[in-house]
Formats: sequence, C-alpha cells, structure tokens
Amino acid sequence: MTFDISKTWCRNAGAREDGLDIGAGVIAADPMFTHEGGADESPEASRLALGRFINLMRRDQGLSIEALADKADIEIGELLSLENNAAHLPDVRTLYQLSEVFGVSQEKLMGLSGLTHANDDDDDYVEEAVRYAAKSASVEVLTEDEHEILNGLISVLSENAKHK
Amino acid sequence: MIATTPSDVTPVWLTKRSIKETVDAELWHGIVDKNLADWEAEWIPDLQRRLKLLNLQKVERRFWPQSRYWDWRDKLREIERRLANLSFAIVAEDMTQAMMTIDLTKRARMPGHEGQHLVYIDFLEAAPWNRNDLAEEPAKFGGCGSILINAAIQQSILEGFKGRIGLHSLPQANSFYANACEMTDLGQDATYENLRYFELDPDSARSFIEKGKGE
Repeated sequence: MTFDISKTWCRNAGAREDGLDIGAGVIAADPMFTHEGGADESPEASRLALGRFINLMRRDQGLSIEALADKADIEIGELLSLENNAAHLPDVRTLYQLSEVFGVSQEKLMGLSGLTHANDDDDDYVEEAVRYAAKSASVEVLTEDEHEILNGLISVLSENAKHK
Repeated sequence: MIATTPSDVTPVWLTKRSIKETVDAELWHGIVDKNLADWEAEWIPDLQRRLKLLNLQKVERRFWPQSRYWDWRDKLREIERRLANLSFAIVAEDMTQAMMTIDLTKRARMPGHEGQHLVYIDFLEAAPWNRNDLAEEPAKFGGCGSILINAAIQQSILEGFKGRIGLHSLPQANSFYANACEMTDLGQDATYENLRYFELDPDSARSFIEKGKGE
C-alpha cells in the first residue's frame, strides 16, 4: 500500500526543513557526550562576541538579516540565532560562508563559536574579541565608537593578525 | 536475504537547493539491496571525505556527525526476518537520499498516552550530501526528514496507532524534531545514551500531515 503525499506538501516540508539536520537513532559506538550536544560546554562569552561581531558587520554593511543571509547563502534562522542566542552552536559551513563575506579568518570564527579550541599560543584573539565586543552597546545605528570597535574586531579576527 | 525490489513505491518530491525547485523522487517501502549498495559505494566515501575536512578544520570530534558509525547492512540484517520492523528509503536521481527503519512493538511514554502503541523510529539518516553539519557544502536535497516522518505517521495510522510516533533524536537534529515536526520533547533518556526522546500524539500527527497540504 502506498501513501498519499502531495507535491505541495513536499515543497512546503522542504522549506520548513531547510538548514536542519534530521538524524535519529541510538549511536551505540563511541558516545562522546553526556550533555545536550556540546553547546553548553563552550564559553558563552566568546559566542556572544561572535554574535556581536556579526551584528556589527552586518549593520556596517547596511544589510538586513535577510540580505546578509542571502548574500552568505545561509539560513535566516541560523543568522538570527547566531546574533541573538549565545547557546546556539553554528554549523561549520555557516562560519565558512560568513568568513568569506566578511573577509576574516574562518578558523578564528570557529574558535569564537566553540567549535574548535584555540591553541594555547594563539588564543589571545578570543579574549581580545570578547573585550572588544563587551565595549559595544546595542543601539539601532552604528555609531563612530562602534565603527572603531568593529575595526578592532576586524583586525583581531583577520587572517594575519599577530597576538602577543 | 535483502530484497532486490521495494514492496511499494510512493511518489514524493524533494527540494533541490541549487535550483530551489522540487524534483521527482520515490519513497521506497523497504530498504533493498540497491540502497545498501548506494550506502556502501557513495555514502561512506563521501562521509569520510567530509570527516577529513572537519578534522582539517580542527572541529572537535564531539561535534562530528554522531551517526558516522552506523552500518545499514547490519541494521537490515538484524530486522529482515522480523515482521514488526519495517524500513523505507528515499531515492532521487537514481541515488538513495535517506533511509529509515521503524519498530512497531514500542509503547508511548507521553503523559496521557502511556502504554499506547506507536511507531518507533529506530534509525533515520540522510545521505552525507543532504546534511548541514558536514563541512562547507550546502545540503543538496531538502525534505527527506519530513517525508520519512510523514511515512512513519501514515504507517502508524495503518497499524491502528492513530499516528503516534516516537524517536530518539541525534543532538544535531533536536531542532528539527522540536520545531519543524513540533514533536513533544520528553527530555534526555539516560538509557539511550542521553539522547532526547520525542513523541508525536495523534492530534499533532494529524496537524503535521495537514500542515502545508494546501498552502
């Protein structure tokens, strides 16, 4: 016996499912987590800094959430979560796409997100980024100060930035 | 002995992300030898390539896809003689895009529904190229998860279980089951490797099937 699943239903379902993973079932080998999936173990402060950086960059470029999501080819929901939810663990691809759009280091964005651990010798950028982000306040228009803070963040997160 | 042809085929449609259009696909009632061949010859090498990328990018192993150890041939061998286990596969462009096995012997845990029969989804997985948690490429086809959940609900109705389904979500998929499927999250299950357990009651199942039908 076959099922009744219409084309319209499939199209709408495909849109709802966009950007989400679907796996279900017991792992049964090498279970490496005893928590919600890792996000809660990553430093929230650095993820807040990541969200703040993305917010500032987006506004600096005059882009709406939707426009940036379109430009970076990522999901709107993912971008919203990244900017506003420090518990959200982004996909590797999302950070890759954003690093391409913003011209900063993917590796460092991943370090800020908690997906990777920065090397001991090279982890100053996380602390510096958090410090810069902490200086900014949430306002509608990007102020001169925010421009300055953003420039600081860009320099910290650039590929060739040197750290003490 | 794994079958060579599915018992039935339901026409379905997947969303091809690159062209943002739906393409013809098929829901196969029964995972068959061709699906396992696709898994061995295409899924595994592609998964390994993506794992290499994650490793190169120094992504911590706890964020790698947890289903990377799954052996679908073993899973099928285990259930092939059991009448209470069924399997499904989605095929598009002559390639297996997702697979699912279900168990008809489990009972509901949700308050108000305890002890009622349900369709329990043992395993559900999309091909590596249809996943978002693997490296830098966007998912190729969308809709596999929803179609398989739809199939599980319809099978549940056929069995007289009124659409009730249950499953243990992999951590990366919690959002899909909680938000896109609107399943009830019954929390982490210490007896199932701390995975979160989700259930859909008959009303929510009906709503899932109806949602988007005529939009």
